Amino acid sequence: MQSTPIRLAILCAMAMAPQAAWSATEPERIQVTGEMIDTWCYFSGVMGGPDAVVGSAHHTCALWCAAGGIPVGLLADDGTVYMILKLEGADPLAEADTLLTVASDRLTADGMHHVRDGVNYLIVRDVVANEGIVNLTHETFGPVPGFAIPEPAQ
Amino acid sequence: MIRTLAVALALALASPVVAQDFSAGSEASSWGLAGEAPARFEAQVVDILCELAGDCPPDCGAGARHLGLKRTADDVLVLPMKNGQPIFTGAVADLAPLCGQTIEVDGLLVGPEAAKFYQIQRIRPEGVTEFQPADAFTSAWAEANPEAAAQGGDWFRNDPGVRGQIEQNGYLGLGLETDKAFIADWF
Repeated sequence: MQSTPIRLAILCAMAMAPQAAWSATEPERIQVTGEMIDTWCYFSGVMGGPDAVVGSAHHTCALWCAAGGIPVGLLADDGTVYMILKLEGADPLAEADTLLTVASDRLTADGMHHVRDGVNYLIVRDVVANEGIVNLTHETFGPVPGFAIPEPAQ
Repeated sequence: MIRTLAVALALALASPVVAQDFSAGSEASSWGLAGEAPARFEAQVVDILCELAGDCPPDCGAGARHLGLKRTADDVLVLPMKNGQPIFTGAVADLAPLCGQTIEVDGLLVGPEAAKFYQIQRIRPEGVTEFQPADAFTSAWAEANPEAAAQGGDWFRNDPGVRGQIEQNGYLGLGLETDKAFIADWF
């Protein structure tokens, strides 16, 4: 039977093993379904909690950030965010308008999944299905940020 | 037994994702962001697609791709999401001219502990003494969109791609009729 210090050492090494594995993994072809999101607002909390910076409430801001060259991500149903490095062969900043057409959409993407240093990346080969915008967050939050929709002239 | 523990600890500390403190010498301004930590470090500017998939065009894609910072201290690939301008702007315009260079950056690590992202506030290119602000997006955008830039005002209100989407699908992306009803109710 192992002594307590040895068991501690093994537990310590086991606890660290997943972190070591995060540094880089072999790419894997996957299909994943989720929402195309603005990753900066989602992760930084600059405009509030994650529920407020997705869907229709945040659609205009998602357009701004995608046009501004901020990475677009696919927020999967399990909460994983995949950073989109290519979309159907297009480099994201060369053809930013392509990304604008799918901002906030719920879609299913087929592509190569890479993990490096804890970040998930996806090279999208095909968009298999696109349901459009189905996350109607404006009904709860209004526009996020509030100035996304200019106030109509009186 | 002690040696076993020491080896386990050394392995743990050698893991690149173990949190390190890069705050020494940082002059980054706080933005009050989630998980925010000032971070100044040296890194090589790399094309992420090239790093991950061996897809390596010249000049890191010349501004068409997302770029990464491969940190000298621990070889971690840091994803810069944002430059120093508080107006929905990424960092590629600041980094693309520095493709392949080992530079020094100052800014904020942001987000969850398991996967930090970066906001670049200042850059010191190779062979340059002084830091320069990471604010290249708007001038690059104006150069690429001279007619829109000539209208004045915020770039994000004038961007032709953004305007086209809003004119077609509305601010909520749900169609012009839905937009009209929502705006009438909201304001």
